Amino acid sequence: MPVAITPRLLCRVAILSILSVATACSIPHKPPNRYQDDIEVSQLEVRPVTELQNQALAALNGEQYQLAVDYLQRAIKIQPRNAWSWHYLAQTYWRDAQYDRCLAMIERSNSYGSFDEDLISANDRLKPKCQPG
Amino acid sequence: MPPKPKRKKAKSARRRQRRHYRLVGALVLVSAFAIYLGYLNHLINGRFEGDTWAIPSRVFARAQELYPNLALTREQLIYELELSSYLMVKSEPIPGQYRLLGESLEVYARPFDFGTQYQEARLVQIFFDQGRISGLVDSNSSQNLDLFRLPPVILGSYYPDNDEDRLLLAEDEVPEQLIDTLIAVEDRQFFQHWGLSPMAILRATLANLKAGRAVQGGSTLTQQLAKNLFLTPEKTLLRKINEAFMAMILEIRFSKSAIITAYVNEVFVLQQKRIAIHGFAQASRMLFRRSVDSLETQHLALLVGMVKGPSRYNPFTSPDTAVSRRNLVLKIMFEQGLLGEEEYSSALDAPLGIVDKLPGINPFPAYLDLVKRQLQSSYSSAELARRGLRVFTAFDPLLQQNLELGLTRGLGRFSQPELQAAVIIADYLNGDIQALVGDRTTDFPGFNRALMAQRPIGSLIKPLLLYSLLGDSLTLASKVKDESIRIQQSDGKIWEPRNYDRELHGEMSLYEAFVHSYNLPFVQLGVSGGLEALAENLARIKLLKHDVVYPSMLLGTTSMSAYEVSQMYQVIANNGYFTPLTTIRSVTDHDNQTLERVPLESHKLFDQARMIQVQRAMIGVTENGTAGYLAERFPAQTLAGKTGTTNEARDSWFAGFSSRLLTVVWLGRDDNGPINLTGSSGALKVWSDIMELQGFESFKISRDDSLSWHHINPANGGITRKSCEISVLLPFPKDQVPTARSRCQ
Repeated sequence: MPVAITPRLLCRVAILSILSVATACSIPHKPPNRYQDDIEVSQLEVRPVTELQNQALAALNGEQYQLAVDYLQRAIKIQPRNAWSWHYLAQTYWRDAQYDRCLAMIERSNSYGSFDEDLISANDRLKPKCQPG
Repeated sequence: MPPKPKRKKAKSARRRQRRHYRLVGALVLVSAFAIYLGYLNHLINGRFEGDTWAIPSRVFARAQELYPNLALTREQLIYELELSSYLMVKSEPIPGQYRLLGESLEVYARPFDFGTQYQEARLVQIFFDQGRISGLVDSNSSQNLDLFRLPPVILGSYYPDNDEDRLLLAEDEVPEQLIDTLIAVEDRQFFQHWGLSPMAILRATLANLKAGRAVQGGSTLTQQLAKNLFLTPEKTLLRKINEAFMAMILEIRFSKSAIITAYVNEVFVLQQKRIAIHGFAQASRMLFRRSVDSLETQHLALLVGMVKGPSRYNPFTSPDTAVSRRNLVLKIMFEQGLLGEEEYSSALDAPLGIVDKLPGINPFPAYLDLVKRQLQSSYSSAELARRGLRVFTAFDPLLQQNLELGLTRGLGRFSQPELQAAVIIADYLNGDIQALVGDRTTDFPGFNRALMAQRPIGSLIKPLLLYSLLGDSLTLASKVKDESIRIQQSDGKIWEPRNYDRELHGEMSLYEAFVHSYNLPFVQLGVSGGLEALAENLARIKLLKHDVVYPSMLLGTTSMSAYEVSQMYQVIANNGYFTPLTTIRSVTDHDNQTLERVPLESHKLFDQARMIQVQRAMIGVTENGTAGYLAERFPAQTLAGKTGTTNEARDSWFAGFSSRLLTVVWLGRDDNGPINLTGSSGALKVWSDIMELQGFESFKISRDDSLSWHHINPANGGITRKSCEISVLLPFPKDQVPTARSRCQ
């Protein structure tokens, strides 16, 4: 049975659409209350941190693990809640066969990046490698 | 007729015997001389080929990272540069100098070896805007920089027993002009003689005879080095003989270049309080804030001139004598063709160019003391004083400055000269101890109260106790009773704890009891199971001091140092992640080879969601609880903290944290007498004075999906309207959200 397209129906559809879009947007970006950490702000890209992360990854590729750790600790000092810096530190420790440290850094990375699916899956992939045997 | 030949025989036998004795005697003398030379040679081996000098270990602060948007004023950066002995100039700077360019600052950073990386000297212009760095530009390439690391300040040194300080120069680091000047002034035959200069000795003898007293020395540089390195300064014939032979051995065994380098490193130039400054490199740093390779002619002339009499020609105590001596050296340089006429006359006209005041020796003794204690598991005191180690720490000189100013200002509120203090500031996210004082006189090098004073902590125990209580049945909204309680102790005695105000406040939420630091509800809950959990949690962070747990522990009768309290609060502020507090980040040897690193540790010891509830209650303390003063003083900021007061107001504590910094303040007396200050009226005020100077960002609670936030009425723990004025917004585990509703009253 065909539905008559009335102005009232159009209005309802429009309102529902607006509401659903608003709801969808509000799920991942639910504004924090005044006591909570604003993830979007604390994870903002900071250029020196990105530069240090890149230098660390280059050092890691060159198997200069200590140098990579140095870069990442500097990055963490500048922006301690950057979950990716902790992840890269975990990666460095994995490559350097320091597995306990690797696991500890994954845990810390997850605590800052629970909203970041890419990060969580990167940590999930890394975790079994840091549990040899 | 036998007697004749007999006599002859006897005579020749005696002659043979005499010859024999002479030979033996000569042999003995030669052997003794050989042994003597061997002994001298052995002395030379011991010092010249081994560790010739005891090099003090240097302790470095953190390297200041500079990047756009960093909260740093120009004045703060200048303070840091001055601590690093950078010299402000008006002309184009050289390494170790800076200048003001309008509102910006141009710094020529010295080269620095960070252990894993060597950083070249670099000229960088830094722009500021509204208390922040607004841009960084490499002055040579005009390129914008995202990041630049300033070489760290030396915050102190561990000196050897002889209290000598020096920086060593390698053979190729000694400037030629310095060598030429030294030779021209002290020993013109240096490259010709073999340790002794008979002509110089003759000339000196004649001059001394003529004057009737010792006016001229005939010692070569090599002799002076032998005397300084191996012998005492006493004027005896034996010492002179030893000196002469040692000088010859040195000349035979080592090159002229090695000898002059040793001289440049050994020579005594300056006394700074108890520390003797040896060597031109360190003297140059101290006097002119310049490395020895950047000295100008007049500086060099003063340094070389001071060798003859460091005390007599001290430019601080006898500036006129020092100028005369410098000018004499300049004259010799000119006469010897080391200077042109123009350069000579401009050097004569130049001022001495020394710093106004020599830098203090170890101005941050409490921090240095902690570094030493943390190093002691790996290095003995003797090693620290000799090996020239480089210890890289987390010390933040800017934070320390604010701590010292804030503490002085804070203590000025109380007219109690015997009131003592200890303060620690740490970055709780990575465990860095950044600033510390252990005495009300911040540069006092004695008893370090921040580490050593074990004092009861009072209500500072409550956050960990609250953590121990929260769980299956208790939330922040749970109802508790503030009513009197009597507990029979193991010795049969009755313990009847009271609230600080000696009042009973009836029924309320656990949150409300915590915020106002009421004792009785916590004792009540503690004796019904919380005590064991508290002991277990203290043991996790290695702060359980006794094998036997006792109820009064619930009210913080356990004694701790400010350092231990900081470790406990580090875990609380950091969502339950334990990171050992440390001062040291790495140690390298004198040649910059890394000996040790302290990696960033992180151990999840406590449940994050539960710790977040504790943090929220601690924010309540600063909003309208015992530390409500903070909400009045910093209305735009959110802070978390807890006050602590002990019996008869003997100890006043406050531990609180912002977005990065954890600061713990203790006030009390060494004789444990009452100070009549509570945590709120004493330590909290000092804490605020320090943090106001420092500036800080609000503490924010991490988001945790297992928690949901609701408005409750703190009086009874019931859910209430958001618009209700007395409501507080609290986090709850999703399966423990209160169901009871409450009116807004």
